[in-house]
Amino acid sequence: MTDADTTAVGDRETTETSAVRSAADGGRDLVLEVDGLRKSFGALTATDDATFSVERGTITGLIGPNGAGKSTLFNLVSGFYMPDAGSVRVNGVDVTGKEPYEVADYGLIRTFQTPRKLEGMTVREAMLVGPRNQPGESFRNLFLNPSAVEERERANLEQAERILEEFEIDHLATQPATKISGGQMKLVELARAMLAEPELLLLDEPAAGVNPTLRNKLAEQIRRLNEQGTTFLLIEHDMDFVMKLADPVIVLDQGSVLMEGTPKQVQTDDRVIDAYLGGSP
Amino acid sequence: MSALSDPRGYWADLTTPERGVVAAITAFAVLLVLGLLTGALAPAYFLYLVGLAGMYALLSFGLNSQWGFTGLINFSVAAFFGLGAYGTALMSASSSPIAGQFLPIFGLVAALVLAAILAVAIGIPTLRLRADYLAIASLGLAEVVRLIVLNEREVTNGSAGVRGIPTFFEGWPVLETLPQQLPGIFLQPLPGTRLVFEEPFWSALLNVVVVVTFVAGSYAILRRAHRSPWGRVLRTIRGDEDLARALGKHTYRYKMQSFVLGSIIMALAGVFYAHLNLYVSPSDLDPVTTFYVWVAVILGGSGSNRGALFGGIVIVTIREGTRFLNSFEWIPVDVAPLRILLIGVLIVVLMRYRPQGILPPQRELIWPSVVDEAPDQPTSGVREARTGGKDD
Repeated sequence: MTDADTTAVGDRETTETSAVRSAADGGRDLVLEVDGLRKSFGALTATDDATFSVERGTITGLIGPNGAGKSTLFNLVSGFYMPDAGSVRVNGVDVTGKEPYEVADYGLIRTFQTPRKLEGMTVREAMLVGPRNQPGESFRNLFLNPSAVEERERANLEQAERILEEFEIDHLATQPATKISGGQMKLVELARAMLAEPELLLLDEPAAGVNPTLRNKLAEQIRRLNEQGTTFLLIEHDMDFVMKLADPVIVLDQGSVLMEGTPKQVQTDDRVIDAYLGGSP
Repeated sequence: MSALSDPRGYWADLTTPERGVVAAITAFAVLLVLGLLTGALAPAYFLYLVGLAGMYALLSFGLNSQWGFTGLINFSVAAFFGLGAYGTALMSASSSPIAGQFLPIFGLVAALVLAAILAVAIGIPTLRLRADYLAIASLGLAEVVRLIVLNEREVTNGSAGVRGIPTFFEGWPVLETLPQQLPGIFLQPLPGTRLVFEEPFWSALLNVVVVVTFVAGSYAILRRAHRSPWGRVLRTIRGDEDLARALGKHTYRYKMQSFVLGSIIMALAGVFYAHLNLYVSPSDLDPVTTFYVWVAVILGGSGSNRGALFGGIVIVTIREGTRFLNSFEWIPVDVAPLRILLIGVLIVVLMRYRPQGILPPQRELIWPSVVDEAPDQPTSGVREARTGGKDD
């Protein structure tokens, strides 16, 4: 609990500092601003002049038919792809063309569509890869400053076990990470990403391949973490899941933003229905 | 839990393959003692073999910290080994065409620095790319280094090699002349056998001290580095580099550190070899060394330090042990030339029945003092399963 409190305090501080900056922005506190982003692979333009923003404290949904360029957009924002044009700003800082580890330093963490298995690791071991800037990740510290390494490692392990408890999967802690179900793996991925203490977490299809019971649990967890101060941007194909969870929802079609609105607005918009049914724009 | 204070608990905590290895090592040790007592194995030669085993263990450590930890495919083990050997030889040997006559300890430093520089030079263009590119580049590098050593006669003596390398302890107080000063001892442990402990034995013993120090030091460093957040990031890179990047890890830097560390340990093996053999030639850079070391690491279990140690010893046993088989007259064929075939068969059998190697890493990569006090511990069954053992 204490830890949830400290992260909440940390978030409040950043909210206050950025509130000053975003006052000019019509009072909206934006954690991610994407402007005119473009990416082509040969003749195929996967992302075409995409412009949108994510407001702090929201769960923003990103939907669109297959091939709309959602995953490409994620790769561009998180630094895995280099955009051909346009800019990405995280917390007001331009991170266009930066490496993923640099983007992560500004508080943006992403997950992947297919859960990434780490064979040969237990669940808690895989969890411990999450925390950023661990002193023990420096080779020199292992020999020159082992006590700092040990101290942080102990704190990280405790926090990892507490988060697993909050996710109600603490019984899996010492199980091999490859032997748990796909749905549990999604939960572990989310839990691990939380250990990196993101301000903005990009989830790529968190509910794909997860059974309905676990899916509800996942939605519950995302909502809980959101209330504790993490902003979410999630790609999802399960309309039911995304409409219940996200507000606002951004609709992407053929690489650019088709519309943005509340779930209700999106569901009743003709252009969205056309895009999903394959009608020409 | 120590094997001596609580043998039963120690045995119960082992996984099945670990028990097999303990039994095999015990049997092998008994065999060696018998060989020594009956005079079939000369003590000085035995110590030479221990030195070779230590050398292969070092090479395996080096490759393991590249391939086993991080998944870097390095096919130029022999080049880094040769660089270590030539580095110290050219610094310290009396016939060195460039420097010469320096103390071997300076040769050691020069060799390791040389290896680190070469590792960085080859790492800069390749480590940002996919794993395959390092593999291809290192394959070429091994040949380039060998050809340079062979052809740059003004620097390396070319195919004549470098002679007149001093022993490692040259210039040290006491240790330099210790083998000559120790008395010769003759023992007769069994009727009909006579063991001789003279100067060659004592100098071989000193070599063993050197290699054991190198091996123990490298092992201590690697063990601490492996079971740490650092080792965990390397393990993540090996499993899925994109995941490590997404979690904010600067993977290029980690790969470079792992590559340089491994290369330095390989060069250390080369330094020891030069002062063991007292002569180096371009044939020491033969690519077959790379092949042997890969076999040792895969056999021992990629990613496991003790597996690499075990694998290195097994390789030397096969390489040198097959020479002995010729002395048994009831074996109708000449066995020694078959040893490459034997190693090939061994690898095929291993890949079929135990692809993760004999002693794969089993402990969690979490700082030992933190996790070993935790109430929940993975059982030996989990430790075995997490290596993928019971999967297929």
